[in-house]
Amino acid sequence: MALMLVTRISHLVRRFGTSRFFLLGLLACSGAVLWPAAADDRVDFASEIAPILSRHCLTCHNRERTEGRLSLVSLADLARPKTPKNVVVASDPDSSLLIQMVSSSALGERPEMPREGSPLTAEQVALLRAWVKQGAEWPEELELQSAARADLTWWSLQPLSGSAPPAVEPSLRSRVRNGVDAFVVQQLAERQLPSSPVADKRTLIRRLSFVLHGLPPEPEEIAEFLADSRPGAWERLVDRYLASPRYGERWGRHWLDVIRFGESNGYERNVIRNNAWYFRDYVIDSLNRDKPYDRFVQEHLAGDRLGSNEPEVEVGTAFLVGGAYDDVGNQDPAAALQIRANTIDDMINASASAFLGLTVSCARCHDHKFDPIPQADYYRFQSAFAGVQQGARILASAEERNRYEREREPLAESLEQVRQTIEQVREGVRKRVERRKPELTKQFNRPKVDPYGTEERFEPVVAKAVRLEINGTTQGRYHRPVIDEFEVWTPEPDSRNVALASYGSKATANSMRYSNDDPLLYSALKTNDGGYGEYWIANLAGGVLTVEFPRLETVSRVIWSNDRVRAFSRNRSRPFSTDYTISVSVDGEEWTPVASSQGREPFNESLLNDKLFAQVVNQEENKRLGELDKRRRELERQLNAVKGLPQAWVGNFQQPAKATYLMQGGDPTRVGAEIPPSSLKVLEQLYPGYRLDPNAPEGERRLELARWLTDRRNPLFSRVMVNRLWHYHFGRGIVATPSDFGAGGSEPTYPALLDWMAGELIRHEWRLKPIHRLILNSHTWRQASDARPEGVNRDRDAVYLWRYPPRRLEAEAIRDAILRITGSLNTAMGGPGFRLYRYSLDNVATYYPLDEYDPSTFRRSVYHQHVRAAQVDLLTDFDCPDPALPAPSRTATISPQQAMSLQNHPFVIQQAKALAERLAERHPGGSVADQVTTAYRLCFAREPEADELSAAVALVRSHGLPLFCRALINANEFIYLR
Amino acid sequence: MNSSIFGNELIARRDFLGSVSQGLAGVALASLVAPSIGSAKTISRHHPAKAKRVLQIFCPGAVSQVDTWDYKPALERHHGQPLPEEGAFLSFQGKNGNLMKSPWEFRAYGQTGKRLSSMLPHLGAHVDDMAFVHSLTSKTNTHGPGCVFMNTGFSADGFPANGAWVSYALGSANENLPAYVVIPDIRGEPPSGKANWTSGFLPAEHQGVALNAQKTIRNLQSPEEYSPQAESEYRRFLAQLNQRHAAGSPEITELKARIAAYELAGRMQISAPEATDFAAESVGTKKLYGVDDPNPLKAAYAKNCILARRLLERGVRFITLYCGSRASGVDGLLNWDAHKKLKADYERHIPILDQPSAALITDLKSRGLLDDTLVIWTSEFGRMPTHQEGTTGRDHNPDAFTLWMLGAGVKGGTSYGATDEFGRRAAEHPTTVYDFYATVLDLLGIDHERLTFYHNGIERRLTDVHGRSITEVIA
Repeated sequence: MALMLVTRISHLVRRFGTSRFFLLGLLACSGAVLWPAAADDRVDFASEIAPILSRHCLTCHNRERTEGRLSLVSLADLARPKTPKNVVVASDPDSSLLIQMVSSSALGERPEMPREGSPLTAEQVALLRAWVKQGAEWPEELELQSAARADLTWWSLQPLSGSAPPAVEPSLRSRVRNGVDAFVVQQLAERQLPSSPVADKRTLIRRLSFVLHGLPPEPEEIAEFLADSRPGAWERLVDRYLASPRYGERWGRHWLDVIRFGESNGYERNVIRNNAWYFRDYVIDSLNRDKPYDRFVQEHLAGDRLGSNEPEVEVGTAFLVGGAYDDVGNQDPAAALQIRANTIDDMINASASAFLGLTVSCARCHDHKFDPIPQADYYRFQSAFAGVQQGARILASAEERNRYEREREPLAESLEQVRQTIEQVREGVRKRVERRKPELTKQFNRPKVDPYGTEERFEPVVAKAVRLEINGTTQGRYHRPVIDEFEVWTPEPDSRNVALASYGSKATANSMRYSNDDPLLYSALKTNDGGYGEYWIANLAGGVLTVEFPRLETVSRVIWSNDRVRAFSRNRSRPFSTDYTISVSVDGEEWTPVASSQGREPFNESLLNDKLFAQVVNQEENKRLGELDKRRRELERQLNAVKGLPQAWVGNFQQPAKATYLMQGGDPTRVGAEIPPSSLKVLEQLYPGYRLDPNAPEGERRLELARWLTDRRNPLFSRVMVNRLWHYHFGRGIVATPSDFGAGGSEPTYPALLDWMAGELIRHEWRLKPIHRLILNSHTWRQASDARPEGVNRDRDAVYLWRYPPRRLEAEAIRDAILRITGSLNTAMGGPGFRLYRYSLDNVATYYPLDEYDPSTFRRSVYHQHVRAAQVDLLTDFDCPDPALPAPSRTATISPQQAMSLQNHPFVIQQAKALAERLAERHPGGSVADQVTTAYRLCFAREPEADELSAAVALVRSHGLPLFCRALINANEFIYLR
Repeated sequence: MNSSIFGNELIARRDFLGSVSQGLAGVALASLVAPSIGSAKTISRHHPAKAKRVLQIFCPGAVSQVDTWDYKPALERHHGQPLPEEGAFLSFQGKNGNLMKSPWEFRAYGQTGKRLSSMLPHLGAHVDDMAFVHSLTSKTNTHGPGCVFMNTGFSADGFPANGAWVSYALGSANENLPAYVVIPDIRGEPPSGKANWTSGFLPAEHQGVALNAQKTIRNLQSPEEYSPQAESEYRRFLAQLNQRHAAGSPEITELKARIAAYELAGRMQISAPEATDFAAESVGTKKLYGVDDPNPLKAAYAKNCILARRLLERGVRFITLYCGSRASGVDGLLNWDAHKKLKADYERHIPILDQPSAALITDLKSRGLLDDTLVIWTSEFGRMPTHQEGTTGRDHNPDAFTLWMLGAGVKGGTSYGATDEFGRRAAEHPTTVYDFYATVLDLLGIDHERLTFYHNGIERRLTDVHGRSITEVIA
């Protein structure tokens, strides 16, 4: 007998599209029975009911946490005064809230309870009903205890079942093209929800093109496919699409989501990574070559060990350091430990969620709440990554390294010789300086400059302007001076500062440091504002600061400073003027010096020595030094010209100083037991693990972990990956939570199919393309997406695939599709990415979204330099996730911001014009109807209907092609896949 | 009450449902999906709400509690002496010196006589309406993670911000404006920038929409090159295209929701500029806020304060108003990070904050908006009672800092928790950011443990797995 099963939609049901339905279901929940219960046998509370309640209800409904004022610990608890009376109505299941809550009102609706985890199975609900029906007996003394919701018998922790495609009834065989369909069609039939017929060819090629390439098909491709009536046309099309490099770009983007690959450091400084793209290219290339998945992951974890000096293998470890980390630096030792622990936590979370579909990071502070993952398992992972440091290192083959050394070495040697000679000559001069120092320092008869306030007095002079020319600073000639205030005083008595802005004077400078946030932040205006907190900072070495008065003034004194508020000690001030001239002018053209640094004691020993050196050195020595310096610069230039070795953000590896210890409560200062690098206990029952010495070489640890994780006896490794493929093909996985195969996630809709495909992946030596073929060539994938009332009513989201589930395209696919249809797409692959933001670094990074995009950005979105904590219009608005965290699935939200960016951002306006030009070019002087028809083919892969055509032609006639093109880009049909 | 404990079965059932379902989230989301997207939402709360909307004033850079809100007379008495038991301990930037008193007097304000810095005369005038929490602690001593922690409950980037959660839970009260607005300071974004107002893994429509008196919402206006008539025909044509397409798939409610989203965007084009147009503001109001102050930073912040009031009036659910921006490399210049010279830095920052913020509160009160608006003032952590070695500034202190709340549901004139006699550590009722948000959500009618969203194996919350509503500060 076919038993109707409760549809198990888990958490993803909370996604946008299903929520309303969910709500209606909630209100209409009637507890209707959809399946026959076994009526004969008596249900035993202790052995049959108690385990269900313990596992699925008690986490929330216990005496400590009485959700809904309900504790299900004992019979007495149900009789407590505030507990709802009708939780269990003996002999009347339909009136019992308990039964109502765990039942779904209609097939495909998630029952109200349990709120977390998967719904109860039909059998479990039937048992509960039967128990209530027979009188709801609950032994008085029996108190329940909450059980962890999964133990080692949890489905995903079992070996692959070795399932084979089931036999299919003859009547259904027309809808079975391969093993995939056997599982699906048979079960759909049992649900009395037959699969849909195959979709038409236009729909199929558009679907294929978006799913495999993230792009719409070109009209020529469509025409060719429509014309190909030979057998095997579809399979050939699939092969051709799989062989295209566009495949790796599309699926590479998926993988980069899953492993939280980002191109900035995140956290407060969020500095951009310009050398992380090597890994993005590696992912795309690996997918295009169909690199075996086990090898791919091994390279992620230990590429440096598997292919030392093989850049294309070593680059894999960029995975480990692809996440965010805090690089601000911290002198507080406990905080520093915590930051390091957080950096490794990111690696643990990324690895466990991507490769195992386990939320191991939930066990950082305590044993996992839902899954049988002990806290020590978390630290087993930590010990594997203890030596991984964020950062870049050289990525080069042995030949490249040799070439580099060959070219560099002779130059470096010559340079070293020249430097030594320079040093010898200088040493000779310095000796003479030392001898003559007592005599020479007598020339300095004035105090050194003072960053807190330096004064120069001169004979009263009439001036319209005063300027300060700076030729050297307290930190040397090449530093950019900082001045917080510059005052010009009239003679005493009644001396007044006439430089003040409030007096009407204007301060200007020849350069200033620029701040994006406030263009005037470091301007010369800060030197005559009468306040000391803000500064002029020059943007060039040296600098000229000028103050112009509103009228001629008689002045005799200047006071200036760069740290009037004494934030730093005198000796450690920011660069302050040491070599300077002060001049006055009545017309701004002719300048008369009135004071200078002449005679001032040099600011420190090193500046003193520099000054005396210049005085003592003789002509011959000077000439010699000049020649040597020229030679040095030339050699340095040649050395710089030697093509360097590429540095990539792939991490650095250092043997940890200490073994790894469990952190009690996740607190790095509370050290627990020593944890050697070893395999996770949660998988121990499945196949043998490993255990290394606590101080094993760190590379060894990662390599062992990689081998153990990718072992074919690890059922999670293969299941999780085939489920990811399925997820991106259908918009949802067989397990709807692709990175959580634990009790907090969803259970599989087609467990046997999942296991069979996992076995196929292993049988095909971990190559992904055969699995793609299996899916793409199935009837299940090729079904039409049309709604059928019985399907919509009973399985709205097509969780069981009675149709191909329609869905919205992702942000990147929308952007790339726009570029493709307008003919603007540049398909150049690889290399440094483009940016849709302006990057600004002023201690910390800021990312400003751009209004105008340069055509150099018209590349595929996967090549966008994907940074953290940036919002870039179209991409962000259409749910492109921030790579701060792994994103195993995309949401598809609906918001007015989407409408605003898709119809008003200059990029779209500009692309609409590009499409208009393309249409005009295709039909030079041709009819508007032809232009409209071509536009429909490009955007929707179909012909316009007659009434559509006439409406479009009317719009084009009155307002032009670009406006019409803008509408097509904004149409739902353009961004929905079916 | 009659036979049933809950009066009747309907209520009992609703209560049961409301408490045990994820219904809260479901309801707000459902209303977005429904074809009537953007229309006033049917809001479902766990319990009656005291506040309908939230205004958060955020001073990034770590405001020194002992120089503003947390009066520590012992600091004056022990000025220049080592901090007992800790000596020259290491903190964020390194070594600390001896105890350092505040450069300013503290004086009694209001009926309650609560002592605050004499630098805060305007905000001090509202002290009787404020509830202080003096015993806050943070998990991090670094600005970026600290701000993100204060706003999202997690020190790592990528988690949804406070306003995103509230938007997710309650939606917008105005069909023509976003539910969650962020008003960055004219000087730029706060530490860690947009991570402070991200929707994280919540649906993208809950991300904070950034605008201030200086910069409007991105992509709001139609391109200039299209005439109004062309624009309206474009809209009609697009609507026809989409309706025709949706008619073929009536079961995909998202298609109708997208049509509605376009209509909403059109309405926002009109309502957003109206909200940011100050023409109707009286001279007296502008003066109250300090809009024409000669200090351009104060004038800019004052304008942002008026903007905040106008948005609150128009039903924006959650606003974060920043006073200060990021770390520029010159400590204490762009925000409250006074490492080297606290006196000069705060004589720059406090006057920017004080009058305009106080005016905003006065204005909200006089318009009756404080009855259902919760105002919260926050910083990411506090500062040390000692000076930093070799300076007259203070280093970061995650072990003690202050925030205050005011307005809807808040018990004015109270102080909860206390630091030790120097303000070094939270001593009495140590309180967490989780407790704080449990309280904020409580006032909004939401049980913080039941506002959840599934992500990567966990039902995530704004309060992680912690938090207790500080009922002591609730009226």
